[in-house]
Amino acid sequence: MKEKIQRNIFNYFSKNGINNFVGVPDSTMKYFIKEGLEQKKILITTREEEAIGIGAGFSMSKSPTIIFMQNAGFGNSISTITSLIQMYEIPLIFIIGWRGYKKTDAPEHLGFGKIQNQLLKILKIPFKVFSENEWRFYCDWALNNLEKNNSCALIIKREHE
Amino acid sequence: MNRKEAVSIIVNEIGDVPIISANGFISRDLYETCDKDKNFYMIGSMGLASSIGLGVALKNPKVKVFIFDGDGNILMNLGSLTTIGSLQPKNLVHIIFDNNSHESTGGQPTHTNKIKLEDIGKSVNYKTYTILSKKDLIFNLKKIKNQKGPIMLVVKVKKSKKISTRVEIEPEQIRKRFTNSLKLI
Repeated sequence: MKEKIQRNIFNYFSKNGINNFVGVPDSTMKYFIKEGLEQKKILITTREEEAIGIGAGFSMSKSPTIIFMQNAGFGNSISTITSLIQMYEIPLIFIIGWRGYKKTDAPEHLGFGKIQNQLLKILKIPFKVFSENEWRFYCDWALNNLEKNNSCALIIKREHE
Repeated sequence: MNRKEAVSIIVNEIGDVPIISANGFISRDLYETCDKDKNFYMIGSMGLASSIGLGVALKNPKVKVFIFDGDGNILMNLGSLTTIGSLQPKNLVHIIFDNNSHESTGGQPTHTNKIKLEDIGKSVNYKTYTILSKKDLIFNLKKIKNQKGPIMLVVKVKKSKKISTRVEIEPEQIRKRFTNSLKLI
Protein backbone atom coordinates (compact mmCIF):
# COMPACT_ATOMS: atom_id res chain seq x y z
CA MET A 1 0.00 0.00 0.00
CA LYS A 2 1.24 3.49 -0.92
CA GLU A 3 2.95 5.62 1.73
CA LYS A 4 0.44 8.46 1.43
CA ILE A 5 -2.57 6.20 1.89
CA GLN A 6 -1.02 4.49 4.91
CA ARG A 7 -0.39 7.88 6.52
CA ASN A 8 -3.95 8.98 5.63
CA ILE A 9 -5.37 5.86 7.25
CA PHE A 10 -3.49 6.54 10.48
CA ASN A 11 -4.71 10.14 10.58
CA TYR A 12 -8.27 9.16 9.71
CA PHE A 13 -8.46 6.71 12.60
CA SER A 14 -6.75 9.16 14.92
CA LYS A 15 -9.22 11.93 14.05
CA ASN A 16 -12.22 9.63 14.32
CA GLY A 17 -11.96 8.49 17.88
CA ILE A 18 -9.11 5.96 18.05
CA ASN A 19 -6.91 6.95 21.00
CA ASN A 20 -4.42 4.10 21.02
CA PHE A 21 -2.35 2.24 18.45
CA VAL A 22 -0.55 -0.74 19.96
CA GLY A 23 1.25 -3.60 18.29
CA VAL A 24 4.23 -5.27 16.70
CA PRO A 25 5.53 -3.77 13.44
CA ASP A 26 5.14 -5.29 9.99
CA SER A 27 6.62 -4.00 6.74
CA THR A 28 3.21 -4.00 5.01
CA MET A 29 2.20 -1.07 7.25
CA LYS A 30 5.51 0.64 7.92
CA TYR A 31 4.32 4.13 6.88
CA PHE A 32 1.16 3.79 8.99
CA ILE A 33 3.44 3.08 11.95
CA LYS A 34 5.92 5.78 10.94
CA GLU A 35 3.14 8.39 10.90
CA GLY A 36 2.04 7.27 14.36
CA LEU A 37 5.59 7.27 15.72
CA GLU A 38 6.14 10.80 14.41
CA GLN A 39 3.05 11.87 16.32
CA LYS A 40 4.10 9.87 19.40
CA LYS A 41 0.87 7.92 19.31
CA ILE A 42 2.25 4.41 18.79
CA LEU A 43 3.12 1.86 21.44
CA ILE A 44 5.36 -0.95 20.22
CA THR A 45 5.15 -4.13 22.31
CA THR A 46 7.39 -7.18 22.57
CA ARG A 47 4.81 -9.54 21.08
CA GLU A 48 1.26 -9.49 19.81
CA GLU A 49 -0.48 -11.02 22.82
CA GLU A 50 1.07 -8.35 25.00
CA ALA A 51 -0.40 -5.72 22.67
CA ILE A 52 -3.83 -7.35 22.93
CA GLY A 53 -3.55 -7.42 26.74
CA ILE A 54 -2.68 -3.72 26.90
CA GLY A 55 -5.44 -3.00 24.38
CA ALA A 56 -7.91 -4.88 26.60
CA GLY A 57 -6.91 -2.63 29.51
CA PHE A 58 -7.41 0.45 27.32
CA SER A 59 -10.71 -0.77 25.92
CA MET A 60 -12.10 -1.58 29.37
CA SER A 61 -11.15 1.98 30.35
CA LYS A 62 -13.35 3.14 27.44
CA SER A 63 -10.42 4.24 25.31
CA PRO A 64 -10.83 2.99 21.70
CA THR A 65 -7.84 1.00 20.46
CA ILE A 66 -6.28 -0.45 17.31
CA ILE A 67 -3.94 -3.44 17.54
CA PHE A 68 -1.57 -3.92 14.59
CA MET A 69 0.50 -6.94 13.69
CA GLN A 70 1.80 -9.25 10.97
CA ASN A 71 -0.36 -12.31 10.25
CA ALA A 72 2.23 -14.56 11.91
CA GLY A 73 1.57 -12.63 15.11
CA PHE A 74 -2.15 -13.01 14.61
CA GLY A 75 -1.49 -16.76 14.58
CA ASN A 76 0.37 -16.43 17.89
CA SER A 77 -2.62 -14.65 19.39
CA ILE A 78 -5.48 -17.05 18.66
CA SER A 79 -5.92 -18.31 22.23
CA THR A 80 -5.81 -14.76 23.61
CA ILE A 81 -8.46 -13.72 21.11
CA THR A 82 -10.80 -16.56 22.12
CA SER A 83 -10.21 -16.50 25.88
CA LEU A 84 -9.82 -12.76 26.48
CA ILE A 85 -11.22 -10.62 23.66
CA GLN A 86 -14.14 -12.83 22.68
CA MET A 87 -14.93 -14.40 26.06
CA TYR A 88 -15.15 -11.04 27.86
CA GLU A 89 -16.51 -9.25 24.75
CA ILE A 90 -13.80 -6.58 24.64
CA PRO A 91 -13.95 -4.64 21.36
CA LEU A 92 -10.73 -3.96 19.40
CA ILE A 93 -9.84 -3.23 15.77
CA PHE A 94 -7.06 -5.45 14.42
CA ILE A 95 -4.93 -4.36 11.49
CA ILE A 96 -3.12 -7.38 10.09
CA GLY A 97 -0.38 -7.49 7.47
CA TRP A 98 -1.06 -10.25 4.96
CA ARG A 99 2.36 -11.74 4.42
CA GLY A 100 2.43 -14.63 1.99
CA TYR A 101 -0.33 -13.07 -0.11
CA LYS A 102 1.96 -13.51 -3.10
CA LYS A 103 3.96 -16.64 -3.74
CA THR A 104 7.02 -14.43 -4.18
CA ASP A 105 7.01 -13.36 -0.50
CA ALA A 106 9.67 -14.91 1.76
CA PRO A 107 9.17 -18.65 2.29
CA GLU A 108 8.37 -18.45 6.02
CA HIS A 109 5.22 -16.44 5.21
CA LEU A 110 3.71 -18.71 2.58
CA GLY A 111 2.17 -21.29 4.93
CA PHE A 112 0.35 -18.78 7.10
CA GLY A 113 -0.57 -16.58 4.16
CA LYS A 114 -2.65 -19.47 2.79
CA ILE A 115 -4.66 -20.19 5.95
CA GLN A 116 -5.03 -16.64 7.31
CA ASN A 117 -8.51 -15.88 5.97
CA GLN A 118 -9.86 -19.33 6.86
CA LEU A 119 -8.67 -18.82 10.44
CA LEU A 120 -10.40 -15.43 10.63
CA LYS A 121 -13.59 -17.11 9.42
CA ILE A 122 -13.30 -19.96 11.94
CA LEU A 123 -12.78 -17.42 14.71
CA LYS A 124 -15.85 -15.51 13.45
CA ILE A 125 -13.91 -12.25 13.33
CA PRO A 126 -15.48 -10.04 10.66
CA PHE A 127 -12.73 -8.85 8.31
CA LYS A 128 -12.14 -6.93 5.12
CA VAL A 129 -9.12 -6.64 2.87
CA PHE A 130 -8.13 -3.01 2.26
CA SER A 131 -8.34 -1.68 -1.29
CA GLU A 132 -6.27 1.46 -1.81
CA ASN A 133 -8.91 3.49 -3.62
CA GLU A 134 -11.65 3.01 -1.07
CA TRP A 135 -9.59 3.08 2.11
CA ARG A 136 -12.04 5.43 3.86
CA PHE A 137 -14.89 2.97 3.39
CA TYR A 138 -12.89 0.24 5.14
CA CYS A 139 -11.89 2.53 8.01
CA ASP A 140 -15.53 3.56 8.48
CA TRP A 141 -16.61 -0.09 8.43
CA ALA A 142 -14.13 -0.87 11.23
CA LEU A 143 -15.08 2.21 13.27
CA ASN A 144 -18.72 1.25 12.90
CA ASN A 145 -18.02 -2.23 14.25
CA LEU A 146 -16.16 -0.77 17.21
CA GLU A 147 -19.03 1.60 17.88
CA LYS A 148 -21.29 -1.46 18.20
CA ASN A 149 -18.76 -3.09 20.58
CA ASN A 150 -17.69 -5.66 17.98
CA SER A 151 -14.08 -6.60 17.27
CA CYS A 152 -13.08 -6.78 13.62
CA ALA A 153 -10.00 -6.97 11.40
CA LEU A 154 -8.65 -5.02 8.44
CA ILE A 155 -6.10 -6.77 6.24
CA ILE A 156 -3.29 -5.05 4.34
CA LYS A 157 -1.90 -7.15 1.49
CA ARG A 158 1.82 -7.45 0.87
CA GLU A 159 1.74 -6.67 -2.85
CA HIS A 160 5.28 -5.57 -3.58
CA GLU A 161 8.57 -7.41 -3.45
CA MET B 1 2.23 -17.55 54.74
CA ASN B 2 0.13 -19.07 51.99
CA ARG B 3 -1.25 -17.15 49.03
CA LYS B 4 -4.76 -16.72 50.37
CA GLU B 5 -3.42 -15.24 53.61
CA ALA B 6 -1.28 -12.85 51.59
CA VAL B 7 -4.24 -11.87 49.38
CA SER B 8 -6.31 -11.17 52.47
CA ILE B 9 -3.64 -8.92 54.02
CA ILE B 10 -3.16 -7.01 50.75
CA VAL B 11 -6.85 -6.31 50.06
CA ASN B 12 -7.25 -5.06 53.64
CA GLU B 13 -4.37 -2.63 53.23
CA ILE B 14 -5.05 -1.27 49.74
CA GLY B 15 -8.82 -0.71 49.94
CA ASP B 16 -11.20 -0.37 47.01
CA VAL B 17 -8.80 -0.03 44.05
CA PRO B 18 -8.67 -1.82 40.67
CA ILE B 19 -7.00 -5.24 40.74
CA ILE B 20 -6.15 -7.21 37.62
CA SER B 21 -5.91 -10.74 38.87
CA ALA B 22 -4.18 -13.57 37.00
CA ASN B 23 -5.95 -16.78 36.04
CA GLY B 24 -5.87 -19.92 38.17
CA PHE B 25 -5.82 -20.06 41.95
CA ILE B 26 -4.89 -16.37 42.31
CA SER B 27 -8.25 -15.14 41.00
CA ARG B 28 -10.06 -17.83 42.99
CA ASP B 29 -8.39 -16.70 46.22
CA LEU B 30 -9.23 -13.07 45.53
CA TYR B 31 -12.84 -13.93 44.66
CA GLU B 32 -13.29 -15.86 47.89
CA THR B 33 -11.51 -13.28 50.03
CA CYS B 34 -12.95 -10.02 48.76
CA ASP B 35 -15.22 -9.96 45.71
CA LYS B 36 -15.81 -6.45 44.37
CA ASP B 37 -16.57 -4.64 41.10
CA LYS B 38 -13.01 -3.33 40.75
CA ASN B 39 -11.59 -6.88 40.55
CA PHE B 40 -10.92 -8.04 37.01
CA TYR B 41 -10.70 -11.81 37.33
CA MET B 42 -8.82 -13.41 34.47
CA ILE B 43 -10.06 -16.85 33.62
CA GLY B 44 -7.88 -17.65 30.62
CA SER B 45 -5.12 -15.81 28.72
CA MET B 46 -2.35 -16.83 31.11
CA GLY B 47 0.52 -14.37 31.34
CA LEU B 48 -1.40 -11.25 30.38
CA ALA B 49 -2.32 -9.78 33.80
CA SER B 50 0.70 -7.47 33.65
CA SER B 51 -0.28 -6.18 30.20
CA ILE B 52 -3.96 -5.66 30.99
CA GLY B 53 -2.87 -3.94 34.21
CA LEU B 54 -0.54 -1.65 32.26
CA GLY B 55 -3.39 -0.63 29.96
CA VAL B 56 -5.69 0.11 32.91
CA ALA B 57 -2.95 1.98 34.80
CA LEU B 58 -2.10 4.24 31.82
CA LYS B 59 -5.73 5.26 31.37
CA ASN B 60 -6.55 5.74 35.06
CA PRO B 61 -3.57 7.73 36.36
CA LYS B 62 -5.37 9.07 39.42
CA VAL B 63 -5.71 5.71 41.13
CA LYS B 64 -3.18 3.00 42.07
CA VAL B 65 -3.75 -0.06 39.91
CA PHE B 66 -2.72 -3.43 41.32
CA ILE B 67 -1.72 -6.51 39.36
CA PHE B 68 -1.98 -9.86 41.15
CA ASP B 69 0.37 -12.12 39.23
CA GLY B 70 2.04 -15.49 39.73
CA ASP B 71 5.58 -16.67 39.06
CA GLY B 72 4.44 -19.07 36.32
CA ASN B 73 2.24 -16.35 34.89
CA ILE B 74 4.84 -13.60 34.63
CA LEU B 75 7.46 -15.99 33.25
CA MET B 76 5.14 -16.35 30.24
CA ASN B 77 5.22 -12.60 29.56
CA LEU B 78 8.62 -11.33 30.66
CA GLY B 79 8.61 -8.95 27.71
CA SER B 80 5.79 -7.01 29.37
CA LEU B 81 8.21 -6.06 32.15
CA THR B 82 10.41 -4.20 29.65
CA THR B 83 7.37 -2.32 28.33
CA ILE B 84 6.23 -1.40 31.85
CA GLY B 85 9.77 -0.52 32.89
CA SER B 86 10.22 1.83 29.93
CA LEU B 87 6.83 3.55 30.27
CA GLN B 88 7.23 3.96 34.07
CA PRO B 89 3.56 4.18 35.06
CA LYS B 90 3.66 5.82 38.50
CA ASN B 91 0.41 4.22 39.63
CA LEU B 92 1.24 0.57 38.84
CA VAL B 93 1.89 -1.93 41.62
CA HIS B 94 2.81 -5.41 40.47
CA ILE B 95 2.43 -8.09 43.11
CA ILE B 96 3.83 -11.49 42.20
CA PHE B 97 2.86 -14.41 44.41
CA ASP B 98 5.86 -16.68 44.07
CA ASN B 99 5.36 -20.28 45.12
CA ASN B 100 7.95 -21.56 42.65
CA SER B 101 5.27 -23.64 40.98
CA HIS B 102 2.32 -23.91 38.63
CA GLU B 103 0.07 -24.72 41.57
CA SER B 104 -3.22 -24.54 39.65
CA THR B 105 -2.15 -27.34 37.30
CA GLY B 106 -0.78 -29.67 39.95
CA GLY B 107 2.28 -27.98 41.45
CA GLN B 108 4.80 -28.47 38.67
CA PRO B 109 8.00 -26.45 39.29
CA THR B 110 8.95 -23.10 37.73
CA HIS B 111 12.49 -21.73 37.62
CA THR B 112 12.11 -19.07 40.30
CA ASN B 113 14.16 -21.12 42.76
CA LYS B 114 17.17 -20.39 40.52
CA ILE B 115 16.26 -17.09 38.90
CA LYS B 116 15.14 -14.20 41.09
CA LEU B 117 12.20 -12.24 39.71
CA GLU B 118 13.31 -9.29 41.84
CA ASP B 119 16.58 -9.13 39.90
CA ILE B 120 14.68 -9.04 36.62
CA GLY B 121 12.42 -6.33 38.08
CA LYS B 122 15.39 -4.22 39.13
CA SER B 123 17.03 -4.45 35.74
CA VAL B 124 13.88 -3.14 34.02
CA ASN B 125 13.64 -0.17 36.42
CA TYR B 126 10.97 -1.32 38.85
CA LYS B 127 11.29 -0.55 42.56
CA THR B 128 11.37 -4.07 43.95
CA TYR B 129 10.69 -5.67 47.32
CA THR B 130 10.99 -9.26 48.46
CA ILE B 131 8.39 -10.27 51.02
CA LEU B 132 9.04 -13.26 53.24
CA SER B 133 6.55 -12.87 56.10
CA LYS B 134 3.16 -11.38 56.98
CA LYS B 135 4.94 -8.71 59.00
CA ASP B 136 7.12 -7.81 55.98
CA LEU B 137 4.05 -7.63 53.79
CA ILE B 138 2.10 -5.24 56.02
CA PHE B 139 5.20 -3.07 56.60
CA ASN B 140 6.00 -2.76 52.88
CA LEU B 141 2.40 -2.18 51.78
CA LYS B 142 2.32 0.82 54.11
CA LYS B 143 5.73 1.93 52.86
CA ILE B 144 4.77 1.94 49.16
CA LYS B 145 1.57 3.95 49.71
CA ASN B 146 3.33 7.20 48.87
CA GLN B 147 5.92 5.80 46.50
CA LYS B 148 5.91 6.18 42.75
CA GLY B 149 5.69 3.10 40.57
CA PRO B 150 6.27 0.89 38.87
CA ILE B 151 6.65 -1.14 42.03
CA MET B 152 7.15 -4.91 42.20
CA LEU B 153 6.45 -6.92 45.33
CA VAL B 154 7.59 -10.52 45.10
CA VAL B 155 5.64 -12.26 47.85
CA LYS B 156 7.05 -15.68 48.68
CA VAL B 157 4.16 -18.00 49.49
CA LYS B 158 3.78 -21.65 50.44
CA LYS B 159 1.55 -24.05 48.59
CA SER B 160 -1.80 -24.54 50.26
CA LYS B 161 -3.90 -27.69 50.68
CA LYS B 162 -7.16 -25.77 50.54
CA ILE B 163 -8.42 -24.73 47.11
CA SER B 164 -10.68 -21.73 46.75
CA THR B 165 -13.92 -21.91 44.81
CA ARG B 166 -14.09 -21.07 41.09
CA VAL B 167 -15.11 -17.57 40.09
CA GLU B 168 -18.82 -17.96 39.44
CA ILE B 169 -19.49 -14.67 37.68
CA GLU B 170 -19.95 -14.74 33.91
CA PRO B 171 -16.95 -13.24 32.05
CA GLU B 172 -19.11 -10.63 30.33
CA GLN B 173 -20.44 -9.56 33.73
CA ILE B 174 -16.90 -9.39 35.19
CA ARG B 175 -15.94 -7.04 32.35
CA LYS B 176 -19.08 -4.91 32.58
CA ARG B 177 -18.89 -4.24 36.28
CA PHE B 178 -15.12 -3.64 36.09
CA THR B 179 -15.55 -1.09 33.28
CA ASN B 180 -18.41 0.63 35.10
CA SER B 181 -16.36 0.84 38.30
CA LEU B 182 -13.55 2.60 36.39
CA LYS B 183 -15.96 5.28 35.16
CA LEU B 184 -16.54 6.34 38.75
CA ILE B 185 -12.86 6.98 39.47
